[in-house]
Amino acid sequence: MKYERYHIPLKSVPGRVGPVPKFVIIRADNCINCGKCEKSCIYGVHKRSEADLRKMADPDNNLCKNCFRCIQDCPQRALTMMVGPDYKALGRGLWTSLRIFTIWSESETGKIPVFGAGYRGLFAGPGYDGMWTDMSEIVRPTRDGIHGREYISTSVDLGSRPAWLEFDKAGALVTDMPPIVELQVPFVIDTTRLRSATDAMKTGMARAAKHVDSLLFAAPDSLSREAASELNAHFVPVYAEGTDLRSIVLPRGARMAALTLGSNWKEDAKRFKSMYPQTVLAFRVNAGKDVEKRVLDLVKAKVDVAHVLFDEEGMELDSVEPRYAKDSLRAIHKALVSKSVRDQITIIAGGGIAAAEHVPKTLICGADVVALEKAAVLALECRDCMTCSMGSCPVNMGDAPAEWIENRVTNLMGAWRDQLLEVLGAMGLREVRRLRGELGRAIFFEDVERESFSDIEGGAGDG
Amino acid sequence: MAEDAKACAKDMPEAALVPSEHLRFINRFTVTRAETCISCGLCACLCPYGVHKRVEGHVKILPPDDRRCIGPSCEVNYFFCVANCPTNSLSVGPSETFVCLGDPRWTSEMILATWAMSETGRPLPLDHPGNIGASGGGFDKLHFKLPELKGKVDPDQICTTIDLNRRGSGTKIRIPIPIYGGGMSFGSVSTNTMLARAKAAKRWNTFTCTGEGGYPDVLIPYKDYVITQIATGLFGVREETIQRTRVIEFKYAQGAKPGLGGHLLHDKNTPEVARMREAVPYTSLFSPFPFHSVYSVEDHKKHLDWAQSINPKALLSVKVSTPNDVEMVAVGSYYAGAHIVHLDGGYGGTGAAPEIAKKNIAMPIEYAIPKVHKFLVKEGIREQVTLIASGGLRTALDVAKAIALGADGAVIGTADLVALSCVRCGNCESGRGCPRGIATTDPGLDKLTDADWGAERISNLYGAWRLQWCELLARLGMTDISELRGRTDLLVHGNGQPRGSSK
Repeated sequence: MKYERYHIPLKSVPGRVGPVPKFVIIRADNCINCGKCEKSCIYGVHKRSEADLRKMADPDNNLCKNCFRCIQDCPQRALTMMVGPDYKALGRGLWTSLRIFTIWSESETGKIPVFGAGYRGLFAGPGYDGMWTDMSEIVRPTRDGIHGREYISTSVDLGSRPAWLEFDKAGALVTDMPPIVELQVPFVIDTTRLRSATDAMKTGMARAAKHVDSLLFAAPDSLSREAASELNAHFVPVYAEGTDLRSIVLPRGARMAALTLGSNWKEDAKRFKSMYPQTVLAFRVNAGKDVEKRVLDLVKAKVDVAHVLFDEEGMELDSVEPRYAKDSLRAIHKALVSKSVRDQITIIAGGGIAAAEHVPKTLICGADVVALEKAAVLALECRDCMTCSMGSCPVNMGDAPAEWIENRVTNLMGAWRDQLLEVLGAMGLREVRRLRGELGRAIFFEDVERESFSDIEGGAGDG
Repeated sequence: MAEDAKACAKDMPEAALVPSEHLRFINRFTVTRAETCISCGLCACLCPYGVHKRVEGHVKILPPDDRRCIGPSCEVNYFFCVANCPTNSLSVGPSETFVCLGDPRWTSEMILATWAMSETGRPLPLDHPGNIGASGGGFDKLHFKLPELKGKVDPDQICTTIDLNRRGSGTKIRIPIPIYGGGMSFGSVSTNTMLARAKAAKRWNTFTCTGEGGYPDVLIPYKDYVITQIATGLFGVREETIQRTRVIEFKYAQGAKPGLGGHLLHDKNTPEVARMREAVPYTSLFSPFPFHSVYSVEDHKKHLDWAQSINPKALLSVKVSTPNDVEMVAVGSYYAGAHIVHLDGGYGGTGAAPEIAKKNIAMPIEYAIPKVHKFLVKEGIREQVTLIASGGLRTALDVAKAIALGADGAVIGTADLVALSCVRCGNCESGRGCPRGIATTDPGLDKLTDADWGAERISNLYGAWRLQWCELLARLGMTDISELRGRTDLLVHGNGQPRGSSK
């Protein structure tokens, strides 16, 4: 077999509607059309009007990069700049306008966002934004993954792994090998909780999942018959709570299925295992108080995968005092480790994954795989305006063709994988599996704040 | 003490006024004149600030000069133009353009304050809003407990000098201010920018640094004030560049892209840059990470010995980023022979870095300084090490806070560029580079920066900062900046929790 290094081919996939400009330049009436701004601007924002060369055309705000040169050079002081109103209106909570904008450009170009001039945001934030990943300095050399100079593996396994193998006297394997699904990236796509998901979206995302060797989680009959035959291996049907297992037929070729944790889940697990012993079984669990105990119960029932669900902001769902995913996942991971059963179950974490950096951080906190939900829709130029049910989508999501969706989502996953490689490389890790639960290779806001500032009046730990 | 202070506080460069017409575009308020204006000229007669003007002999009044306007608070004055206009044509409000400048780390106020100090060389008051950012953590949450000033500050009585070599042997180098310039390579910035920084460094008898892109010949006249950097790519590193310098800086990592090595994207690798770096023009240059000759502490020592044997007189500086075990790295570097341990935190400047690296990899410098300082004290070697901090130190007060947390001095990068009229638009990485002619190697754009003008402005900024340190020390009852080191008892922290999510 020819050895091929895993690689996601990426290409530019322009948006279907115009981007939202970050900055808007306004030309006042006292402009004398001298054309000085055209000379000043190195990005081509200012051009003469093609219809009437005596006049300046309206500025092309999508090209503006906020350098202020036209404004400073204008002899009439006729130009002013403002933050684009549409850009300002984008986003809420964890999903800031900048993050949405970043996902759009990652999905368009497939490239890692690289900019000059240093970090410009807030010092820290809640949840994942209050942690930093470690890096290697001199000893423990880093790996140069992103430029292809050294290979870093991002593949993960879904399924239970036996702690050891047993052989009989003749050397034949006697351990009962549980089913395993191997993915080339530590993320999957999950459409089950989206506000709206068209058929083209499901097909396109399933193709993207196939393209990068990942999985799409969606309702059982999401794929059309012709798409199903080619895509079932990358499709995971998600059955709602209360589904009667006796009535289901798994799609042909599906390697994995997900059930929802309900009151009869233990019987369901048993029945499913007897019906489909070679299919990986996942249970979806809402994160909440004592979620770690529920995951331990899943291990006892020999469930292969726990898909732990958080809300959009990355917080627990079923709890009066919700924890952040980073704390919840750490608790689950530690509980599994302390019972010595960590490798008997795979943890998928979904919800609140709003940026590339959240992937390694989720893994460090103890998840094996991350589920992309809202991010995958934002890749399709969604503006997160929540008017889906009103049928007035500003980007006409309903018309988006499956092929375009496939390419945009592939770009997003490619860009995020490359950024994961940056983080892994900086830490000197050669495979993403080693990142899981590496809490010692992360820096948590509360810890460093206490360590460094506790002797300062008003600092953490003081009083 | 006072005698010493007097000795080290003499011969400070004088400030000169270096205004920039280019930087007058930004104003806090907008004055709008509606079409109903009849050009009666009453506003021009009334406004004492010169917002409204009519050229003698012209019928129409000029567009309002809003940068002179003091804003809506003017309404208490009898001459308030809006209230006096007979046709109600005038209005005053906050400027939209002003909001577009800056970000939480470098607020618009901070950029304007830095410009003002670079222009005049006069310090801003320590409680000026431009001294502190709005990032909601780290330096922006640390404040000095400052008593009121008793009497006047006499800068001649206050010493801001630091030693770069605190070991018992080797060349003694003292710099009169606790800062020197950080590495910015030829390629990431233009030769004019490098020259401006070198000239300012010479004037202040401190240093600037070549960065990793080689040593342009135009810097040779300033060689006593230029640090040669040896970075992982070894671009342009030659025996003679190591031999001509007084300080050799090993760049193990850069705070803005820890663990990743330097980035120079293809657009900026012009033939001239490529020649200096001995690389192919217009290819992206990513230096490897780490030094592939250094995989252990023993290798590290060998590495320093190698440079020291090429230039026995030079001081050795080791620039490292801030991982979890940064204190071990600092101790290792000391025992390997480093004179200066330079910690570079994640929130600092860069010509080009992946966004994911800037915020997420390695800890901010505010945490690393006390960690390393305390550990070096515990190891009993603190007095032999010069601990330098950088990476997100934007103002004189940030430097003072870093010193109070335990550093000896600081390295400044972005503030130098802001003095040169950088607006922090963040487009240094690609295309023709900086549209304002600072971080560019485009043969047209680099003419926008004049090296002498830039040197004056950077020098003014340093002068203003020194006066700010003098006021701070005087108010704290100190006469020497070394007294401030490690005095965390003088600081107060805003509170424990970070503010909302990052927007």
